[in-house]
Amino acid sequence: MRALFLLLIAGYVSGAAAALALGTGALSRWASALGAIVGASAGLALAAGACIRGAAFSLDAPGFFGPVGGMAFTLDPLGAVFLALTSLVAAPSALYGAGYARLWEGRPALRQVGFMLNVFLLTMSLVPLAGGTLTFLLVWEGMSLSSYFLVMTESDQPEVVSAGQWYLAMTQIGLACLLGSFLLLQSGGPGGFSALRAAALTLPPGTRDAVFALALIGFGSKAGLIPLHVWLPRAHPAAPSHVSALMSGAMIKMGIYGLLRVSLDLLGGGPAWWGGLVLALGAVSALLGVLYALMEHDLKSLLAYHSVENIGLITMGVGAGLLFGSLQMPAAATLALVAALYHTVNHAVFKGLLFLGAGAVLHATGMRDMNRLGGLIRGMPWTAALFLVGSAAISGLPPLNGFVSEWLLFQSLLPGIGAPSPLVAVLMVLSLGMLALTAGLCAACFVKAFGITFLAIPRSPEAAAAHEASWSMRAGMVVLAVACLVLSIGAFEIVPRLSSFVAPLVGVAGSAPSLSVGLALQTPGGFARMSPVLVAAGLALVVLTAWLAVKAFASRRPVRVGETWGCGRVVQTPRMEYTATAFAEPLRRIFAAVYRPSEDVSIDFHPDSRYFVQSISYHSAIVPWFERYLYAPVISRVRSWSERVLALQSGSAHAYLTYLVLALVLLLGWLVVTGQP
Amino acid sequence: MSPWLLGPVQAAMALLLAPGLVGAIRWMKARLQNRSGAPPWQPYLELRKLFAKEVVVSNNASWLFRAAPFIVFGSTVAVTLLVPLLAVPLPFDGAGDLLVVVYLLLLGTFFLALAGLDPGSPFGGMGASREMTVAALAEPTMALAIFALAWSAGSTNLGHIAARMLATPSEALAPGHVLAFAAIFIVTLAETGRLPVDNPATHLELTMIHEAMVLEYSGRYLALIEWAAALKLLVFFTLLGNLFAPWGIAAALTPGALLWAALTLALKLLALGGVVALVETHIAKLRLFRVPELLSASFILALLAVTASFLLR
Amino acid sequence: MSPELVSQLSVGGSTLVLLAGLAMLWRRGVRAHIGAFTAQSVALAATTAMVGWFTGDWQLWAVAALLLLIKGVGIPILLARMARRFGTERELEPYVNTATSLLVGGLLVLLAYLVTAPLVSVSQLPTRTGMPLAMGLVFVSLFVIISRKKALTQVLGFLMLENAVALLAVLGTHGIPIIVEIGVFLDVALGFIVMQVFVYQIHETFESIDVEQLNRLRE
Repeated sequence: MRALFLLLIAGYVSGAAAALALGTGALSRWASALGAIVGASAGLALAAGACIRGAAFSLDAPGFFGPVGGMAFTLDPLGAVFLALTSLVAAPSALYGAGYARLWEGRPALRQVGFMLNVFLLTMSLVPLAGGTLTFLLVWEGMSLSSYFLVMTESDQPEVVSAGQWYLAMTQIGLACLLGSFLLLQSGGPGGFSALRAAALTLPPGTRDAVFALALIGFGSKAGLIPLHVWLPRAHPAAPSHVSALMSGAMIKMGIYGLLRVSLDLLGGGPAWWGGLVLALGAVSALLGVLYALMEHDLKSLLAYHSVENIGLITMGVGAGLLFGSLQMPAAATLALVAALYHTVNHAVFKGLLFLGAGAVLHATGMRDMNRLGGLIRGMPWTAALFLVGSAAISGLPPLNGFVSEWLLFQSLLPGIGAPSPLVAVLMVLSLGMLALTAGLCAACFVKAFGITFLAIPRSPEAAAAHEASWSMRAGMVVLAVACLVLSIGAFEIVPRLSSFVAPLVGVAGSAPSLSVGLALQTPGGFARMSPVLVAAGLALVVLTAWLAVKAFASRRPVRVGETWGCGRVVQTPRMEYTATAFAEPLRRIFAAVYRPSEDVSIDFHPDSRYFVQSISYHSAIVPWFERYLYAPVISRVRSWSERVLALQSGSAHAYLTYLVLALVLLLGWLVVTGQP
Repeated sequence: MSPWLLGPVQAAMALLLAPGLVGAIRWMKARLQNRSGAPPWQPYLELRKLFAKEVVVSNNASWLFRAAPFIVFGSTVAVTLLVPLLAVPLPFDGAGDLLVVVYLLLLGTFFLALAGLDPGSPFGGMGASREMTVAALAEPTMALAIFALAWSAGSTNLGHIAARMLATPSEALAPGHVLAFAAIFIVTLAETGRLPVDNPATHLELTMIHEAMVLEYSGRYLALIEWAAALKLLVFFTLLGNLFAPWGIAAALTPGALLWAALTLALKLLALGGVVALVETHIAKLRLFRVPELLSASFILALLAVTASFLLR
Repeated sequence: MSPELVSQLSVGGSTLVLLAGLAMLWRRGVRAHIGAFTAQSVALAATTAMVGWFTGDWQLWAVAALLLLIKGVGIPILLARMARRFGTERELEPYVNTATSLLVGGLLVLLAYLVTAPLVSVSQLPTRTGMPLAMGLVFVSLFVIISRKKALTQVLGFLMLENAVALLAVLGTHGIPIIVEIGVFLDVALGFIVMQVFVYQIHETFESIDVEQLNRLRE
């Protein structure tokens, strides 16, 4: 195990070094990608060892950062799940990136991306491995900073710079909250996570609540919970596509990991309001995420908002698990947490696939705006088919993996209706309704995303000239698509294993609820049963039978190709097709109270007569209301304070010297007063 | 008869009955509107005609357009394997429950909407957009109604729900069940494209939802899609009939019991079809932006069903 | 009549009463509103009669008969007369649109469930199961009063509130003495006459019964 750990570090480090040393050509691209793939495979093997063979791993490195306490690494099953999903997305993304990076051939950006990508992957893989506070915070900050640099790759564009600013600000605010949280946690006694776990039992309830609240804010901002998600729709489109895939697929999951680690593992669960708050935040994030995703017509922003939605779904599972744990319903808590963890893995895989597909589209056409794309299925058949697999998976359609984890999530909310407290029952009922609505709207959104981007006629000459992605990009996507199917069919093996990891955390005495019988998944107490394998097999069989029967019995006349029906009009142009904005318009009207769109219609009349119209222009914008009512006032307040503080920076050396002397005098005075040597 | 044979037999029976159900509803509507109407077996003749006809495909369409009818048809037939049509316990009861049924139907809707977008016609886009809106808004009602049923039955698996209702007939008229029935009835009208949500007989493109999506289909593809739509209607009616009033369902797999089950199923289908025909004759189609009001009302009914179900604990 | 059956029937009756109230949020048009109110009063009378049969209390039968006469027949006739006079104007958009009103109504029912949970757990009567729905109707009728613009609809909201309180009394305590009940009816009848005069005056002043027009009185 230690060898695998060292190989993990070695792989990423060598990839980073290769990127720096080997110039800006194909060799550098491939060498850095290879290093990343080696590191990711080592990570996957390490995680598999911990999960499947139950091998424990821990490593202390007091030499690094010795004066401050040294670094410590341990891997337990919970961390192994997150390490596995990171590696699972990292390897295909690195492979994809080798081909994608041709975009920067000959430019220094190639070196920067190759180096930073490996640093990012290294620090991100080390987060689940961290065994102590210092280690955790160091690799966490390393992950945030390296991803910031990756986001800023194309810093010649102003919106990229703005996205980077938002991202940096949100990560630093999160870090501040995390620092506060860990400091409070350590007030019970310093040490690694195992010492903290023991000491947390002695903390007063007020401190525990404060630790939880700060951790929720800090990890929630990384995960992208509303209202701390504002960086997501800005940073993800700005970053290169394989980086977006990694950020959306793996990095935001680290927020979930942190939340689980602090609230469930270190603090050992808490009062019911913790779980209720997390569940409510998750439900709201899920619904608002998908509502705003529906209105996006930039392909990557749409996917970013869907990440907010899916993080909301995962958080709902986590919240339900915390809630049931505090209500002494361990079997239900296990099911909820298993659903959340499984959805984490599934989302990593299909969101990675979707971002890689969007990257291929961007690479081929240079555009992300769906209203200018279309007809790509002819020029990019592989990408289209793989994007379709990703769309079906994220919409929760059987027989893919998204459906299995959504089924588990539904089933996990059901026991809550029978909880002793009526408030919990009402919360569960509302969450169920919001979950179902989110699932339906997600399917609608992906019909739009796939249909408008890939189907029908190209809406611009760039879209018409699209070419298929290179083989490495395709290979990366194929790996993830296959993983989607494997995760679904293999559910009956994976879910019991997840259950055995989670059960000790929620205090299940004895053996964990198995959650699986034969080829089927089963909820505790035998409430419901479902087999993804049989559903997939049945579906395939029926479709095949239908196809054969139709081939045998229906008419043998050849298929004739003709014009699309247009009520007698002869020529079909791209302007007659539906656009993404038009597709989402009914939903925009229905949910207008949430969106509050601003609409502006201006009509240019003919100069000679007001009865003839020359042009009509329609402009509509949706500003998310938390940005208008929460962030804008806060930002303007901070700006006005900083302007006042600016008065201190008078530029006069005399003033600065006065400040120094004043500070020295105050410090000495304080020491005298408190009587310290 | 072996229980494993029951699945294909059920599916075959559903396939046979579905066009007849649609034809019966059309016939009843015609009679209510003082027309003589086409005979109830007209849809069979239509299907036979369509299978023999030539297929014309748009020059903008891709492989998805040709594959979608099979996926839609396949997913709907797969649902008939999971629904208690003739007997409980079902052989595939452990493979899928009511949630699987709902999501398999959503799979069909997803691909049908994509097939509507594929030829690039504005009608297809309009139909796809409206269909996904209605489907998304009907989801919460369906989920809550499922849970209202499942909570009182103790499982979301269909065989269990039907068996539990058979065992305690007094629960059939419980307020929770009646409310859930009303909620699922409204969802049926929405999902199968019946008035007041969508007019199955309209020829005005601006009033179409389902018809607009399949406007470009012809020949055997259209036959598969029409058959799948009829099958979807049959599935929803079966859920309404055999989950809320399962008497007549065979408990043993003897020929006599199965025949009786088939007969009672046909009666229930005709009864529900009659109700739908009455509703369609009585109400005019709702504007698209009044449909969310109808679906909110059905959501409230489902919400009351859930609270009523666990009020009587 | 077994307690379980009474329980089920109370829930059934209260559900019908609540649904008639929610129909007031769903349907537009004064005639539909009056129809909803009539149906609600009939359902309320039926529930009262059922409780009367269960307890064997003749006073409840009398209350049911009074309810049917006054609220099921008498007041709707008066309302129909008012509607013929004032209700022929165009539909007014309520302050909150229909779909949102229905969702708010649902949330209010859930709130009522939370609020009455302690009451339900303490009570021993088999009719206690319908109480959350009656409380829900109280909230829903208050919502109708504040979110609708036509004065006539607000009057109907007030009458519905009275129905809700009566249902709560019947389910929670198996009715109140008939003297008190008659007194309440008298109050309602008086209040209704006052409101009728009020609506007439509004119509005379503004040529419409849109309550927003009352803002103009400031000028």
